[in-house]
Amino acid sequence: MSAVLDFPVKPEARDYLACFAADPNEPAWLGERRRQGITRFAELGWPTRRNESWRYFDVSRIDQMRPAKPPAAAGEDAARKRIDAVAFAGAGQRIVLIDGRFAPALSRIESRPGVWLGSTAEAIRKQPESARAVADTALPHDSEAFDALNAAFFSDGFVLHIGPGIAVEDPIEIVHLATGISEASLHTRSVVALDGGARATIIETYTGDEGRYWRNDLLAVRLGEAAELQRVVLVEEAAEAVHIDGVSASLGAKARFAEFVLLLGGRNVRHETSAILAGDAARCEIDGGFVVSGRDEANIVTTIDHAKPRGETRELVKGVAAGRAHGAFQGRIIVRPDAQKTDAHQLSRNLILGERAVIDTKPELEIYADDVKCSHGASVGDLDAAALFYLRARGIPEAEARRILVEGFVREAVEEIADPDLREHLLQRLQRRLAALEE
Amino acid sequence: MLEIRNLHARLEDGREILKGIDLSVGDGEVHAIMGPNGSGKSTLAAVLAGREGYEVTEGSVSYRGRDLLEMPADERAREGIFLAFQYPVEIPGVNNTYFLRAALNAQRRHRGEPELDAGQFLRTVRAKLKVLDIGDDLLQRAVNVGFSGGEKKRNEIFQMAILEPRLAILDETDSGLDIDALRLVARGVNGLRTADRSIVMITHYQRLLDYIEPDRVHVLQDGRIVESGDKGLAGELERRGYGAFAEEPEPAGTA
Repeated sequence: MSAVLDFPVKPEARDYLACFAADPNEPAWLGERRRQGITRFAELGWPTRRNESWRYFDVSRIDQMRPAKPPAAAGEDAARKRIDAVAFAGAGQRIVLIDGRFAPALSRIESRPGVWLGSTAEAIRKQPESARAVADTALPHDSEAFDALNAAFFSDGFVLHIGPGIAVEDPIEIVHLATGISEASLHTRSVVALDGGARATIIETYTGDEGRYWRNDLLAVRLGEAAELQRVVLVEEAAEAVHIDGVSASLGAKARFAEFVLLLGGRNVRHETSAILAGDAARCEIDGGFVVSGRDEANIVTTIDHAKPRGETRELVKGVAAGRAHGAFQGRIIVRPDAQKTDAHQLSRNLILGERAVIDTKPELEIYADDVKCSHGASVGDLDAAALFYLRARGIPEAEARRILVEGFVREAVEEIADPDLREHLLQRLQRRLAALEE
Repeated sequence: MLEIRNLHARLEDGREILKGIDLSVGDGEVHAIMGPNGSGKSTLAAVLAGREGYEVTEGSVSYRGRDLLEMPADERAREGIFLAFQYPVEIPGVNNTYFLRAALNAQRRHRGEPELDAGQFLRTVRAKLKVLDIGDDLLQRAVNVGFSGGEKKRNEIFQMAILEPRLAILDETDSGLDIDALRLVARGVNGLRTADRSIVMITHYQRLLDYIEPDRVHVLQDGRIVESGDKGLAGELERRGYGAFAEEPEPAGTA
């Protein structure tokens, strides 16, 4: 980039600055946003462990990767095989993004009245009023660097916009497939906008073949009055991959955002949810968990900001760490002075298998209103010896008994998903992961 | 079926609880072991089932000709030993059906029989549910989570009905049951009495024995069996209390 920056550029930003180039075919507002992004990133650099919400995450592995853009085309046959192996059979429509780019031949989009579904790139051309929200995702300050870098480099993404009162019953699946062909840096930026009373269920599946890559995906969720979004995030990245994804959600009055996050694979994996209950009596549910082993690392970071009265938050996050792995949950709930009658409950429960695994859990309530009901709980423990004996006393061999207990532990969170097919799909992915879990 | 000889066991803290138990249970026999709190009843059940935290310091236990103490807990269960827990354990997130099928299939594998799939398993258990007046919904709930005391105990006997053990040890299965629940449990157990299935009932009260009639009754005091007799011994205990057996064992029926 030829721009002259009047501040010291962070060393880690130099390579990214060098390969930044505005696309003349993109609209001016987007070009401006991208320039803002790269400038901001040059100023911020990576978050450090002094940034509270990044203190449990090893950013240094990103630095070992190049900021290379992924190759334009990837083999569709290999991708198809991979998708068949991981995709949710119950999905109605499907968008496949290979290395951050829309793959129309592998996607399945139906045209429905009042519903717009497609790639971010296409939305920018054809549906700019829906796509504009890609410009104003707002992750909390600690994560601003990734937001900025993503704005500068995102290659594509998806946009779902549903008109007032329309319900899309069958789940929409987004498959984020990384081929790992080059040590790519993958950025997607997406939007889900549900107008008043609209309803949808989406499942975003992240999957990767072998190889080293790092990805940074952002989603903006905009829910109108009484709109309802169930979002599932399933992360099964390649063993050496770094995965960072974030969602910034804004909830209108009586809107409901129910998110389920399951982090099952990848070397360093971090999911962040930032939700603002901007309307009266909105409801936010965040459930899920992580399973880490080996030397892997997984973080779930949530910030729920109650800005208006009568909002509800429910969080149940289950963490499992084996081997020398490290897991962390950081959950912040803010209740603003206006947000009277807020009812928020957060529970972080964690299971450590073996001597060397570590889990950190850090609930944080910031309450500025006086008439609220807020609680949180956190626990870190071993498998229940009494339960283990109970299973063994029925003839179940020890290894199987342990697996049943670990599965049951995470399953409690999975049970929060209302759709039975989706629940079953996630249980199968979980079981598959646990079968490969060493202690 | 079961031969216990001079069994001594202590807790990890060194306290000796069992101080020389001798007991012989034949095929198809029902034995009741009665005793006051702290006499070692539940320790005996735990040692037989293979619970960790107890050390056998002396003596032997032979089960169907094999050294029971050599076997890990899960192998004992697969070999046909069943312990009905005094305090059944709640296991959140683990569905009762899933648990029971895993248990039954572990035993079937052990016996070289094919495993049952979910459908076959459900057909097998449905009939047995009725006997114990257990609702279908209980099958779909997490193991013992939110069960009433009576439901937990019925669930234990239900498991026994499904696993069809050779030797069942009922540890205070009557405790905490009202009279209706006790009748249901007793009906369940009586329905499982066969010529080749032995049952050891451990209980504090004689009440259970009104519903499940034992062949032999033993009085356990301070880690030893101080008296054995037929079912009449239970009635005598009820009249005279455990105190009468505390010092010199007297022959049954002298009161």
